[in-house]
Formats: sequence, C-alpha cells, structure tokens
Amino acid sequence: MSTPSKRHVPLLLGSGKSKALSRGSDKKVSLNLTSMIDMFTILLVFLLKSYSADGQLVTVSDQLILPKARVEKKVELKLELQVNSSVIVVDGDPVVNVTPELLLSGNSIPALVTRLRDHMEYSRLTRGTLTEDDLKINIQGDVGMPAILLQRVMASCSEAGYVGQNLAVIKIISSEGGED
Amino acid sequence: MAKAVSARSRTSKHPPEIDLLPVMNLFCCIIPFLLFSATFLEVVVIEMAATEGINSGGGGATANLMRSEEDRLQPKIIITEQEIFIGTASGSAHVGYAFETELNGEMVVSFPWDSLSMKLTEVHDLLTEAYPQIEFHKITVLTVEETRYDNIIVAIDLAGAVGFDQPGLQVAPSASVNSAMAGGGN
Repeated sequence: MSTPSKRHVPLLLGSGKSKALSRGSDKKVSLNLTSMIDMFTILLVFLLKSYSADGQLVTVSDQLILPKARVEKKVELKLELQVNSSVIVVDGDPVVNVTPELLLSGNSIPALVTRLRDHMEYSRLTRGTLTEDDLKINIQGDVGMPAILLQRVMASCSEAGYVGQNLAVIKIISSEGGED
Repeated sequence: MAKAVSARSRTSKHPPEIDLLPVMNLFCCIIPFLLFSATFLEVVVIEMAATEGINSGGGGATANLMRSEEDRLQPKIIITEQEIFIGTASGSAHVGYAFETELNGEMVVSFPWDSLSMKLTEVHDLLTEAYPQIEFHKITVLTVEETRYDNIIVAIDLAGAVGFDQPGLQVAPSASVNSAMAGGGN
C-alpha cells in the first residue's frame, strides 16, 4: 500500500502553520491588529452615542415622508394615525380614502370619528378607566399633505375625545457637534 | 559546574506586545449588537392644541381664543398662497413672499424662514417687555387650505425655538384669509 503523496499546504497565518512550513524559518507571521482596533474603537463610540435603550417606539410607514423639526419632545407609545396622499390609517387599519371631495370642507370626518371613538371605547372597556395618556394620539402626516386635510384629521380627533394631539416629526440633528 | 543562565540572556530581543485578540473578540460581539439597537432616525413629537372644525366663514376655533389675556394677545403666523405674515392683537406685519423651490425633484412652495424667525423673536421680545407678568407660550398658525404640511411644521418649529411652544392650527378658506389680510393693519 502506497503512502499518500505530500500535498502543498496553503500558507496559514499565525500559530496554525504546519510544521512543514515553519521548519524552514522560525519567523511567526502575525496580523497587525492595532489599526483595526483603532477603527473599531471609533465605530464603537459612534454606535454607543446612537444607542437607544427604548428601541423604535413608532413605526413609520414607507408610504409617507415625515417632516423634520428641531423639537426635543420624545415620542411615546400612543394610538397611531397615519395620513398620506391616498388613505388615512388608524392603528394599521385603513379607514378613509383621501379623495378630492374630502378636501372640500374643514370639518371632522365622520368615519374617522367613529373609528376613533370605537378605539377609545375599547381602551376604556379593557382597562376599566381612561387615563390622560389614553386621550393622546400620534399623527404621522406626509410632507405633502394639504393643511385642510390636517385640519379635518385634527378636528376628528378632537371630536372623538383625543385632546392631546401630537404631530410626529423626524428630529433634525445639527452637524455642529450636538443636537439642537 | 554549569553556569547559571544570566538574566540578560533571558530577556527577549523584541518588546512585549499586548495580545489584542480578546479585545477584537469583544468588539466583534458588541458592534453587531449596537448596530441592531442603534436608531439613526429619531422620531419626536410636536404637541398641538386641540383643533376644531372650521365653518365656511373661516371663523372656526377663534371664538375660543378669548379666554385669557395670553389668549387675547397670542400672535398668529398667517400663511397664504403668496405671503407670510405675523399677526398680533395690535395688527399684522408682513414677513416675506412665497417662492418656489425644488424638493426631491418636485417644485414646491416655500417661504423665507429666516425672516420669520427674526420677526418671531422680535414679537416675543416685545410681548415679554410689554407684559412681563405673562409668559407667552401660545401661538396659532392660521393658514389657507392648500398649504403644505412641511411648511406648517417649519413655522411651528421656528415658533417653538423662540419660545412659543404651544402651537395651535387654524385653517380658513383662501378668500377669507386674503380678504382679512388685505384689510389688516401693519
């Protein structure tokens, strides 16, 4: 039975080198990790700065672009109302289609008021009572939404009993080393 | 008898190196975790005053604005299709004209926001000097129906930066706002 022929072993870095290869010279090839550690340290500091323990409380729909502002008030977990150019969505359910007729008057939208009242009633029944936080709503509007539609949505929220109306925006972070 | 190895010969020719592999391992664990939990877009909110529907005359919530001295004196940012004004109890002041600008490949209407910021600062300072006993936080954005949402937000944001951090919104038909501004003082 013949012995297997010697194969060429690929060059391995570090201590995993075969004896056959290291026999010729004792020089140990090692990676210089210092520059990589420097890079990782910078990356680590940047990521620690943008780390959020709360996570993303608000899910922004792909179909709308939120406006930007320099306000500081953090978003809280509330009922979500999304308004884009085609539909008004409450808590993930499309409620009203945005049509040209909808933009003719500035009063509340009956279908939206009914849906919001149902949600409030549901919250009241499940929790037994309504707190001040239950009367708040987060409105996410597309940048191109006309003022009359915002007016109608906000009027509907007021009529349904949601007295605290928050407009969700993307926070502008200044490039001058801090947050405005 | 064999000679003991001298301390000099035991010393290495190369300076000692720190073993960085454990640090690398640690970084390789921490960085993916932080990448997943980092938020690069922070969503914040603007708290608005409750809004009521409007009638055909554009009066709307104005009836409720006369509740306190602060309510009576609160300024208004008035946005029409062509111009932007600041209105106070003593009259209105022109801020600037609308202009078209390109946004994401689309031509949109915008306003001279720097001028608005300066005027808002002036108005806030004047009100604070004239009525030191009142803290002015309320402001109303009165606008026509077609005004874009992002313009309203910029106006509210600038007002908040000056100190008017309790904004309200009123939307009125173009005709009524334009006629009111045409008859308004300076």
